[in-house]
Amino acid sequence: MAILETENLTKAFGALTAVNGVSLEIEAGTLHSIIGPNGAGKTTLFNLLTGTFPPTSGRIVFDQKEITGTPAHRIAHLGLARSYQRTTVFPAFSLLDNVWVAAFATGRSWNGLLFKNARKYGEVTERAQTALSDVGLLSKADVPAREISHGEQRQLELAIALAAAPRVLLLDEPAAGLSPDETRKMVALVRALKGRYTIVLIEHKIDIIMSVSDRISVMHFGSLIAEGTPQEIQKNPDVRRAYLGGVAA
Amino acid sequence: MRTLILIALSILLLPLVVRPAIATEIWIFAIFGLGLNLLLGYTGMLSFGQSTFFGSAAYVAGWLLKHYGMNVLAALGVGVGVGALSALLVGYLCVQRSGLYFIMLTFALNQLFYFIAYQWTSVTGGEDGMPGIPRPVLLGLNFQDPLTYYAFVVVLFLASLWLMKRIVESPLGKILQAIRENEVRAEAVGYNVPRFKLLAFVLAGAFSGLAGVLYAMLFGIVPLEAIGFVFSGNVVFATLIGGSGSLYGPIIGSFVFIWLSESVSTIWARWPLLLGVAFVVVVLFLRGGVVEAWSRLMLWRFSKQKT
Repeated sequence: MAILETENLTKAFGALTAVNGVSLEIEAGTLHSIIGPNGAGKTTLFNLLTGTFPPTSGRIVFDQKEITGTPAHRIAHLGLARSYQRTTVFPAFSLLDNVWVAAFATGRSWNGLLFKNARKYGEVTERAQTALSDVGLLSKADVPAREISHGEQRQLELAIALAAAPRVLLLDEPAAGLSPDETRKMVALVRALKGRYTIVLIEHKIDIIMSVSDRISVMHFGSLIAEGTPQEIQKNPDVRRAYLGGVAA
Repeated sequence: MRTLILIALSILLLPLVVRPAIATEIWIFAIFGLGLNLLLGYTGMLSFGQSTFFGSAAYVAGWLLKHYGMNVLAALGVGVGVGALSALLVGYLCVQRSGLYFIMLTFALNQLFYFIAYQWTSVTGGEDGMPGIPRPVLLGLNFQDPLTYYAFVVVLFLASLWLMKRIVESPLGKILQAIRENEVRAEAVGYNVPRFKLLAFVLAGAFSGLAGVLYAMLFGIVPLEAIGFVFSGNVVFATLIGGSGSLYGPIIGSFVFIWLSESVSTIWARWPLLLGVAFVVVVLFLRGGVVEAWSRLMLWRFSKQKT
């Protein structure tokens, strides 16, 4: 059953149609990758799914409910969390506080918002710690985010998304800018999350995509040009022409 | 703990060092600064129009005190309410924009309120201000006695500090700081950022309102400047010099600012020059103000002891 669907989703910025009539079905529990050359509209698609801006036309359905045009802060509460291609954390905060604010946002209640000491929310802190330990950063919980390495910041990026206890995770190039060694760690991490969450993954590194995905959708100039299993995508001549070209050989 | 001792000591010693009126003004200005710093230091919003709420509260509560002999506590309550309400109005318009546009909006709306006060002479007295604001007796306490009024202001300052401490250590404090650190991510993890900014604005407005009424009662007049942009700028300068990164920064800033303006100004008319130099030093070298200078000094001494 599809947990996340789009119908003819389109976003135009003036004359540029960044996302053009995209219809997509993400099955619950799967890892669905979206690939495509730079500028294909993948990140814009994520921005539409998470309500950063509304689509020009088309519909988004999450868990049988239409969420088209729902603002970003409400999307998070529905169970859709994202990570960013460019690291987007809270630099001055400790790692624990980074995930704590995300965990609190989707927590059970906001009682005591103005007056109760933030350290007295045991359940929220526990969830934050779990998210940190899921990405292997619990030992650095008290270190400010601006002082950790780029690789660790990418892991933190992921932990912030996890702390929201989402049902669907949208990961925008989690391995962007990572060394081969760090990339291996990140792939292992995504693999470990697979099955626990429905994951939509944008990635450029083809070997990662082919090894972790259940299904792959290919975008080119804003449109979907192919969809299928990794094997089918590898054989698809359109995809080879548009995207893999000489790189895949 | 050491901070508390330091505050207690300065509360006790201050009236011995300077005139009680100046000592009182320092704590009033500190309440004003605490409110601003919730915006400036914690949420990362530079409001250049805090005197809107300070002045509005002073005028409304001053009017009620003067013409209806209102109870002091009720007047303070009205001031807090007027401060919060005017901040709700102004904040609602301002939080729609960020950065420079936000700052200009707070400034422009401040000017709007200023010119209303300037023109509406039958109520505000225009350029002459609104004189004749009494300090009525409360529970047998005679506030005409400067030291009694000083003690009253100090109690309200301590209550404000305690309240602000609770606020910044609450989830709200964390959320506001998260907005300062990264607005986009704060929105994405599930916070309605404009709504939270507005909440911060209203809280800051309430503190400004309290300070405004205390100020009017202290000097027995609401001068037109109390709602002017210079006043708005002063509280920003004071907070930056004290240190906007810390809860206690605005208190130190208030000390430095009021002391300079009241004491040095009598000796040397060009005293704002000193303020300018202090401001340049803070912006260039000490973004955390006096608070950071102190902690750096401590760190330096500590490392010297070790070697």
